[in-house]
Amino acid sequence: MAPKWGQNIKNLLVKTMDLPQDVMMDLPRITLIGQLHIYIENHRGLLTFTDTEVRLMLKKGQLLIKGNEFVIKTILPEEIMLQGRIDQVYFIKE
Amino acid sequence: MKNQWTNFYTGYVIVKANGKGTERLINALLKKGIPIWDVKRAGTDSLVFCIDLKEVPKLRETVRSSDCKVTFISGKGGPFLLRRLLKNSGFLAGSLAFLVCLFVLSNMVWGIEIHNANPETEYAIRKELDKMGVKIGKVQFLLDDVDTIQRKLSDNVSALTWIGVELKGTTYHFQVVEKKQPKAEKKLSPQNLVAKKKATIADMFVEKGQPMIKVNDNVYKGQLLVSGIIGKEDTPKVVSARGVILGETWYNSTIEVPLKSNFSVFNGDEMTKHFLSIGNFSLPIWGFKDPGYKHFEKDTTVRPFHFLKWELPIGYKTETKRSKEDIVREYTPAQAHKEAAKMGRADLKKQLPADAEIKKEKILHTTNQNGKVKLIILYQVIENIAAGQPIIQGD
Repeated sequence: MAPKWGQNIKNLLVKTMDLPQDVMMDLPRITLIGQLHIYIENHRGLLTFTDTEVRLMLKKGQLLIKGNEFVIKTILPEEIMLQGRIDQVYFIKE
Repeated sequence: MKNQWTNFYTGYVIVKANGKGTERLINALLKKGIPIWDVKRAGTDSLVFCIDLKEVPKLRETVRSSDCKVTFISGKGGPFLLRRLLKNSGFLAGSLAFLVCLFVLSNMVWGIEIHNANPETEYAIRKELDKMGVKIGKVQFLLDDVDTIQRKLSDNVSALTWIGVELKGTTYHFQVVEKKQPKAEKKLSPQNLVAKKKATIADMFVEKGQPMIKVNDNVYKGQLLVSGIIGKEDTPKVVSARGVILGETWYNSTIEVPLKSNFSVFNGDEMTKHFLSIGNFSLPIWGFKDPGYKHFEKDTTVRPFHFLKWELPIGYKTETKRSKEDIVREYTPAQAHKEAAKMGRADLKKQLPADAEIKKEKILHTTNQNGKVKLIILYQVIENIAAGQPIIQGD
């Protein structure tokens, strides 16, 4: 029950104090610049990386990015900047 | 995000990772906080990425515990460039040597041009320059400066009225104005001889013409001495009168000599310091001792270095200190008297033409007042008083 309690409190805080949800709730913040760049904060590691597909671990579930000619411009423990031609972004629940 | 431009200076390597779990390798690297960038897939089982040069030992550690193999493709950035530069140090040395050569050659004398001089004068100037050491191939800042060259040339080459010296880059330009030697007098122009000043005739030697005076005559200024019109009255002939008429003339001069005078003289001790001047700062390179002169005069010359046509803010500076001494000269009245007489004579000699002769001197008046001796002297001088006066023949 404990994590649920924590989650509930966080939800409450976000709603009442108007805090950004990604900070409070460890959600990924994704910035897309056209089809050229995708910038993801709060990821939890790289699962697969190919020219056409990138799979990232999130706190809950996974993020799947499909496209062409992918290059990871930078990768840091919690941030990743991907370059290429981005076609699709999927959230996969587990 | 991290600024990545510094990576270039610290150096980075391009790495290729082969194996099954390349993604796991990347995750492991991330966990250790090792930044990587430009990750590309190079095949189904291989990745290419960039990593900081200083993180390579950590990369090795991480790779050992994973099932990937890592090969280094190439190194980029500062340290690698430096290594390559050292490997090709011949180029570096060559370009440096080139700059040094250019610098040395820009500080040498490459030409001496003399304008507006006739061959004789030019030869004399060149000889004088050789003596001074101004030659093609000499280093400029070891030579005299332009003003000194100008002074020495106009002192030592008698045919010069004026010489302009200019240093343009590596070439000395000399602009010459020669003395116009007076033209020989026209022998045929008819003239009389007249007195230049009031005098008593002491001696005369008439070459041509009709003398109008006798020895011991008193003449006034402008009086006709030798007439250029000779022959009988009804058939006169006009000639150019010539001759030397020595007249006795008088000069009055007043001379004052102070009994006590202070002089400041150089006693010959001097000391030169050499500096390398950079902007306003001077770096001493030779002569560190302080000579300890009580009174001295300081001469500073700065010779800037050149690079091609530009003057650099770096130069060669010399500072010469000349020791000075104060000397008090004291005369007894008798000595002052003698000195004054000597000075008077010397002064007069300067005024008179070279062929004049001081025959007698007579002290008219002597006073000794306010520490000064004052003399009024009358000189009797024998000099040529004849001056030509052209005869203008009207109808």
